[in-house]
Amino acid sequence: MHVPDGFLSPVITRPAWGAAAPLWYWAARRNFGASATESLPILGSLTALAFVVQRLMIPVPGGTSAHLTGVAILAILYNPGVAFVCESLVLLLQALFFGAGGFTVLAVNALAMGLLGPGAAWLAYRALRGLSEPGAAFAGAYVGMQVATLAVALVLGLQHRLDPAYMPVPFEVTVAATMLPSLTVLGVVEGLFTVATMALLRRARLLHAR
Amino acid sequence: MRPARALLALALLAAALPASGHEVMHEVRRGRAVAVRAWFPGGESLAYVQAEVFSPADEKVPHWKGRTDRNGWLAFVPDVGGKWRVRIVDATGHGLDTTVDVAAPDLPGSGSSDPPAGATSLALRPVAGVAVIAAVFAFLYLRGRRRAP
Repeated sequence: MHVPDGFLSPVITRPAWGAAAPLWYWAARRNFGASATESLPILGSLTALAFVVQRLMIPVPGGTSAHLTGVAILAILYNPGVAFVCESLVLLLQALFFGAGGFTVLAVNALAMGLLGPGAAWLAYRALRGLSEPGAAFAGAYVGMQVATLAVALVLGLQHRLDPAYMPVPFEVTVAATMLPSLTVLGVVEGLFTVATMALLRRARLLHAR
Repeated sequence: MRPARALLALALLAAALPASGHEVMHEVRRGRAVAVRAWFPGGESLAYVQAEVFSPADEKVPHWKGRTDRNGWLAFVPDVGGKWRVRIVDATGHGLDTTVDVAAPDLPGSGSSDPPAGATSLALRPVAGVAVIAAVFAFLYLRGRRRAP
């Protein structure tokens, strides 16, 4: 799902940096201050888990691979701002160490996978948790995955319209290639991952009542 | 026998002339091309994916354009030395945009190769990432504890 360096022009990446930078500052100040100290070990563990699951490629029909994001749970357990900062750290490490994603596209990837997706997951979870908490967590993670994937596809499609030299694949192909695996496989696996991780945290008495 | 000798001489002469007309010429030279393979960390190849190669002499018009093969390979024949840009663009937004150092053609060093990262290196990468995340959160945790009243 990561957009690599060189696939988006500065016309898109610069405004994305302009939007992401103040949001990073605000979210980090609000969620990682002194009052958050006791939750940092769990936050760190979930961030490391997200980093690992994003390295695991799931083969999907059509001859390609896809991966989970693993950050919906951070939005559900805390808030989308926490997910945004933690996912941005994951993306930064992947860009620096592995060449996955990249530095110029970091803000685009962070806004899509770290803010829009987890934000949608948080909203869906809050809307449905009165019915069933595991069901709401599953639905939230599923919806979050679709929103993040669609956001990436829309950005790539916009780039194709602006300048195909950066992204030669047209939007119709991109949206089909990204959304079909997301709707059929990834959303379900992300939902199961989120529910299972929440159950594990609850069993270990690490999930505090909110 | 004179006509037969004349025909044989004509045939030998024709065989020695360069071919022309509708014949398609081709050349096979080994060790002259640069091959690049792209695959996901799990080992799955980026097969049949759009790809472009840009020469350092012309960064606008692709020197080569096509698709990777079923094993994720593409190959091109460089005509100048320098940094060649290779772009592999998967429809899902995954891909590669990198440069390949090419020595001047037909000079020593043009037959070199960049070996892929070893299995140990690939296995250690996630460990390094997790270690950095642990270090970041440990720093934040210790700083928070120190500041707590």
